[in-house]
Amino acid sequence: MTRRTSMTHLVFASTLLAATVLGAPLAQAANANWSPQSSERLVKLPPTYLKKSLDHDFQQSSLGEALGETEEDISLKGQTLADLKQAIASSSGDTRLELRHEFLAEKRAYLDMMTERNALRRQHLETKRNLFEDMLDHLNAQENQGPGAEEVIANQDAAFERFERTYADVDKNFFATNMEPESKYAQQFSQNMQAIEQLVARIENHKMNASSMTDDGLPLTRKEHLRRLVSDTQSELSIIEQEETILGYMAKLVALDAMDLAEDGMDMELADSDVTNALKPATSVSYFLDN
Amino acid sequence: MLKHTLKTLLVGTCIVAGFSAAAEAGTLENLERERAQTIQYFLDGQMEANERLARIEVSKRRLIDMERMVLRDKSLRGKTTPIVRRAFLNYDVTFMAHSATEKNLTMVDNWLDQFEVNTDTLMSAKIGKR
Repeated sequence: MTRRTSMTHLVFASTLLAATVLGAPLAQAANANWSPQSSERLVKLPPTYLKKSLDHDFQQSSLGEALGETEEDISLKGQTLADLKQAIASSSGDTRLELRHEFLAEKRAYLDMMTERNALRRQHLETKRNLFEDMLDHLNAQENQGPGAEEVIANQDAAFERFERTYADVDKNFFATNMEPESKYAQQFSQNMQAIEQLVARIENHKMNASSMTDDGLPLTRKEHLRRLVSDTQSELSIIEQEETILGYMAKLVALDAMDLAEDGMDMELADSDVTNALKPATSVSYFLDN
Repeated sequence: MLKHTLKTLLVGTCIVAGFSAAAEAGTLENLERERAQTIQYFLDGQMEANERLARIEVSKRRLIDMERMVLRDKSLRGKTTPIVRRAFLNYDVTFMAHSATEKNLTMVDNWLDQFEVNTDTLMSAKIGKR
């Protein structure tokens, strides 16, 4: 190996070492965006459909597109790494050293992409979590309609219960003393009720209206389902944090490999040196023993 | 295919949104107007007894329908406006047609009963100066 080549390797490895810092500016992540709104419509969507609807909306967003592109790039980069690893195993000498540098540079690029992907995923999950929390607030606000609402609801329930309980008796007493037929409202109401009951039965059995279930097969309320979605999203965020730790360790290994390569370069540099042991006084003693 | 799916989705959403916005208020206001008219018949001293009975009977039919409309009106649920709050505080006063029929009383008797005015209290009342 020439002195020039080993110097080039040394500079390359040092540059790589200095550049192996995760969290470099992420162009795609900075511009990509997904901003779903917690609307009345979203809150009312059937639980089973909500997730699919959000996933579809995300895929259409610039953030979704950016994530898709990054994942494709990572997949290709993974293939490149596998090819390079195979090539290194079957090479030797200068080519091997060259390929090792190439491998190191590709590993760094792979880590950059993974970091970018995680930043995009984090953005996605945080947006999703905030959305679910907004939806929960929305539901809570709907349930708590202001001071005194609970009392009004209790009175309304009691009134309706009493009405339901006495409905048939009222009709019997009233129409027994009146020869007139039922009012137009009463006639149409009972006709409509039959239609409504049929429609309600169909809605209840519709697969898109099926409520989510717990692991034990118990149905979840809309609020419980949303709370579960928040907690699932939080779990995914925790996993991303763990993955970032793994990426950190990978980056450290790339840096150590770069140092190793740099040291190899320096060793070769020293081996090529013209400077000999003459610099040591003991080896020059013979020059001084004769006149 | 995707375009088709999105179109279907949009149509479905519009239909649901349109019908959920169709809820109509005003049932309680209508009942209150009819109730006020009926109470006027109770208290109108100028009216002949037969006419009063006939008018109250007509009002009762209308009140039964209106009371049912209010009791079934989902838009009133949890509303804390004074009119809704007051309406559901006393079933016997607000839903007087149902309450009277349920108890087999005339509407006047049932209504006066709510204010503790009945034959016994009237008979035991003493005439005097205030």
